[in-house]
Amino acid sequence: MVRIRRLAAALAAALAVATVGSAGAAARAQTLQRLTVHSFTLAGDTGQPRVDVPFHLVVTLHVRERVTAIDNLELPILAELELLGDERALASGSNGTLYRETIAVVAHHSGDIVIGPARLQAIDARDRRPKQYSSNGLTLHVAGAAAPVLAIGGDFAAGAMRFTFQLALVVFGTLCAVAIVVLLFRRRAGGASPPPPIAAVVPDPVPRLAVARSPRDQLRDALTVLRAEPTRATAVRIRGVVWRMVGASDGETLADVLQRPEAAGAPMRELLRALERGAFTHDADLAPAIDGACDALERYIAA
Amino acid sequence: MTARRPADLTAALSQTIVGQPGVVEALLLALLCNGHVLLEGPPGLAKTLACRALAAALDGEFKRIQFTPDLLPSDIVGTRIFDQRESAFATVVGPIFANIVLADEINRAPAKVQSALLEAMQERQVTIGPETHALPDPFVVMATMNPLDSEGTYALPVAQMDRFLMKVNVGYPTREEELQILDRFAVADTQPLRDVATLDDVRAWRAQAHAVHLDEKLKRYIVELVAITREAERVTVTSAGGATLRAGELIDYGASPRATLALAHLARARALLDDRDFALPDDVRAVAPHALRHRIGFNYRLTTEGVSPDRAIDALIAAIPAP
Repeated sequence: MVRIRRLAAALAAALAVATVGSAGAAARAQTLQRLTVHSFTLAGDTGQPRVDVPFHLVVTLHVRERVTAIDNLELPILAELELLGDERALASGSNGTLYRETIAVVAHHSGDIVIGPARLQAIDARDRRPKQYSSNGLTLHVAGAAAPVLAIGGDFAAGAMRFTFQLALVVFGTLCAVAIVVLLFRRRAGGASPPPPIAAVVPDPVPRLAVARSPRDQLRDALTVLRAEPTRATAVRIRGVVWRMVGASDGETLADVLQRPEAAGAPMRELLRALERGAFTHDADLAPAIDGACDALERYIAA
Repeated sequence: MTARRPADLTAALSQTIVGQPGVVEALLLALLCNGHVLLEGPPGLAKTLACRALAAALDGEFKRIQFTPDLLPSDIVGTRIFDQRESAFATVVGPIFANIVLADEINRAPAKVQSALLEAMQERQVTIGPETHALPDPFVVMATMNPLDSEGTYALPVAQMDRFLMKVNVGYPTREEELQILDRFAVADTQPLRDVATLDDVRAWRAQAHAVHLDEKLKRYIVELVAITREAERVTVTSAGGATLRAGELIDYGASPRATLALAHLARARALLDDRDFALPDDVRAVAPHALRHRIGFNYRLTTEGVSPDRAIDALIAAIPAP
């Protein structure tokens, strides 16, 4: 149990670094990239994930410019999902730059999950005005627990052999079908320029955590995240998570949030104020402000 | 000795004035921003008392000018008179040479007099004959207007209104506050607290307010707030009759870039009043109505549709999400 907890904490920290990395760089840069955004999408590899079965969310951004990094990209808040891993790939070519971020997640409850859009802040190269781009949002319908893969019968060995054989047939058939489709597509495309190369994205296999994510668990993760990446971008991101936790929406101010009944407790009020300081204080005060936010998180978790 | 803070002044003024926290805060914000305030409200709401109390607390000089239709510019800025004993002209400075100047019912004087005052507010100096005189520092004008009685008044030109850092609507006190007023003022006049801070303190606070950090997100928020006053077509307002109107139909022109600067200054000053060296979205949103109220040109439809200016401004502010 202790090992699992340690693993989970390490995983959360690693994931947090990956998740907030791009935004953190943006905060440090304090400048916006000049980009021409062709497309900006958020997709899932399944529309109906199952409880406790990992799946992937993919943020894809195509810009005209050739860049080596995408700054100021803010991933959607995944408060109702457990984050398992994150992988980023960036490919530049004659068609511009294709950025793809794959987030491995798992749901622990069935029902509908609404995921907000990813956001990108950049200067539009066409009219030189700062803009905030938003991808589409997603609504996932999480089904109940996964069906058992193997039906254990009387003769286990025979059943296992039969299953392995059937699985091999299915895999072989799928590979053949994919190869035929790829060949046909290439012939039809003729002399058209190939799409920009995209590095294959294979999220690291990560062990699943069997526990449900309570708000306190999320804040525990947030504390690990903030300690691993003590930047303004992380503070802003965690501020957003905590605000949603107390039912606040985008566009409210701290005064509005403090009037909510969910923010009535002293530890929560202290946490909200500490995160506000971390989000808006000057650079020289940022480290103490983040230390204060970590302390406030600790006190809230312990309360 | 502990350094004095702007909050000490707030506490001192609150001991003299019952309620009216908005007026007290506005006076202090104007002081910290080196700006001027336009107070609009019916008579008897402690506007004069607040200005007098602020001057007393600062140990500064206070002058009150009652604006009337027969007032002359020289009555405000001063004039030159011939001294027969010296056989030379001598300059007699007007009441504008004070740290806190209360221009009571500013809209009762004709445009020529208003211009003389507003020019002094902008330039912070006055020219009398061949001599130019610098006004004292700090120099804050608190002008009042009475919204109830418009007969015999001269509306302030738009360009001159823009020179006021903020316009504050002064409302009636609550019942509880009025009970306190009875207790405090019925027996004897309350003397304002004196020498709570010095004029040097004010100059130091102004430097501190100027150094308050305004995050990039807040700067964009401010710019968006001002821009929406010029692009109000996408904002809706509900009229008194329940009809949904586009705010753009009620507005002839939006706020100037001076409003952008005013919002930034005021947000910084409000942060300093709260003992912070960084501003928050709350600071910007709290001062936005005061900085925008007199800089937006509403048209006749505002009145005919029964929409109050403040309701329209609140709708504009609500249309821009805070960062």
